[in-house]
Amino acid sequence: MKIWGRPKDSGLVESISLLALHLLEGDFAHSFAVPGWIGLALPCVKMANPVPSACCMVLAAVVVVYAQRHSQPDSHTQFERVGADVTMKCGSMDWDAAVTWTVNGTDIDESHLNGSYLILKNVDLSQSGQYSCYEGSAWHLKYQTTLKVGTPPREPVLMCRSNNYPKGFYCSWHLPTPTYIPNIFNISVIHGTKEMVCEKDAVPKNRCHIRYLQLFSTVKYKVTLTVTNALGKNYTTVTFDEFAIVKPDPPESVVAKPVPNNPRRLEVSWQNPSSWPDPESFPLKFFLRYRPLILDQWQHVELSDGTSHTITDAYAGKEYIIQVAAKDNDIGTWSDWSVAVHATPWTEEPKHLTTEAQITETTSASTSSFMAPPTTKICDKGAVVGSGAVAVCWTAGLVVAAYSALFI
Amino acid sequence: MAGADSPSAALRRRDLCARGIRLAGKMRSDVVDLLDAYVEQQGLDASASVAAVEGVPPAAVERWDEQTGTQRLLENLAAYRAFRGLLAQMLEEQREQLGEADAALGRALAAVLLQVSAFAYHLEELLRLESRGPPTDEGDGPPPQPQSVFEQKLRGLGVLRELAQWAVRSARDLRQLAKPGPGAGSAPSPAESP
Repeated sequence: MKIWGRPKDSGLVESISLLALHLLEGDFAHSFAVPGWIGLALPCVKMANPVPSACCMVLAAVVVVYAQRHSQPDSHTQFERVGADVTMKCGSMDWDAAVTWTVNGTDIDESHLNGSYLILKNVDLSQSGQYSCYEGSAWHLKYQTTLKVGTPPREPVLMCRSNNYPKGFYCSWHLPTPTYIPNIFNISVIHGTKEMVCEKDAVPKNRCHIRYLQLFSTVKYKVTLTVTNALGKNYTTVTFDEFAIVKPDPPESVVAKPVPNNPRRLEVSWQNPSSWPDPESFPLKFFLRYRPLILDQWQHVELSDGTSHTITDAYAGKEYIIQVAAKDNDIGTWSDWSVAVHATPWTEEPKHLTTEAQITETTSASTSSFMAPPTTKICDKGAVVGSGAVAVCWTAGLVVAAYSALFI
Repeated sequence: MAGADSPSAALRRRDLCARGIRLAGKMRSDVVDLLDAYVEQQGLDASASVAAVEGVPPAAVERWDEQTGTQRLLENLAAYRAFRGLLAQMLEEQREQLGEADAALGRALAAVLLQVSAFAYHLEELLRLESRGPPTDEGDGPPPQPQSVFEQKLRGLGVLRELAQWAVRSARDLRQLAKPGPGAGSAPSPAESP
């Protein structure tokens, strides 16, 4: 049996039922006249015998049952608050009708029913799902709804910042707790009497940006964010001066290097953040902090120009951690700290010689029967010291010994 | 006299701009301190919004990056000349209201007034270097006198806030001016006549 298409109008059940009726009555001519059907090809149609055959009767019955079970009543969605009591009616069914309710395809126990009404008390998030109501033993779908349990929005958190002054600024937001249902955010930006357009970013979705129309204004900006969902609404407002929100991104490409023949120096360089559009006209100043890994206390240096600095008081031979922050020379606040870099000042004794001596000493102590030949390079890995190198040397020694035993 | 674009003029311009930037930075720092002291002494709310006050030149500008060097200098000079008159008036009002009760505030006001005058002179020097010469300081007469003591206080708040913004703007303007290439001092447009 082929079925092409479906009725363009709703009323699938009616169409199929009518079709089935025609089939049962042997009225094959009218089966094609059932409104909305594009075409229906049945093997039975070819029979010239007007008496409906048994197969057609069975087919018709199957079609009717199929239509009744899979026809789609209008789909509903309902939003309810966590903790609410929810009553679902089975469409237009009477209270005393015999029905079966399911949630996500699973039967719901009759204890939740009041007549044909489904009662859900003190709903929680786990009760979100698709609820369906079927009539009697025929399982005729009478009503279907998607229940979404959630909460109204709490006051959103809104932040505005200019990391690309003087081009503009952006505002970003989030909800302190999820609502579990869809939310719509609307933002308005007012400067004096002017309403400004905040263009939403594609990514991330909770951000928009504004271009400055004026610079050096004493008039404050007022930004209001409203969040709305099916269960409620909330909003927050922030007010700020043009200068107050200026905060560059951290400096980029921070590099720290030892200075040859200088055991107490480290040369640090960095670049302006790429998001800062005009460092020549709007220069940044920098704050550098550094400490040896073994200490907790930072040293700080503020630098009014340039993108490099030489630390001259480093402890010899100690590994340092270094970070840099940036700020507009005149306005705003400091950036976050840059990614940390590590460096150790130059030392007179090359590290790899010291390491090799330590490894050789360790190997002699723990591998007395299986001494690796002096030319073995496996152990000669520069900074590798300690138990890891001993294991490598042990293995190398065994291999060499086995090889020697085979061929000597 | 060296032309505006000669190497010596360019060096002189860069030197004047560098000094002007330092002067603007110091001025801003002092104005911010003075603003805090003024708000406290006058019993004002630091976050209060003050509507645009007549006679106080607003620092706010649209299309700032499109201005020519000469436009920047002329607007700056007009502003600081206006601030000179406004601060002198504030100083007088402060002495009348408080006498010697708050000498520190008076001294701070006087110090800022001196810096504003010095900066105005600095701008005149830069304009002379542009072979323009500064416009004559005819002004529009003394600034309008506020009616009440409260209005005086609010205007004072507005003056200092706007001056702090101008100090930042001036440093930015001078950095633009100090850049090599066009934009440091173009031919004046008809709108720039003094």
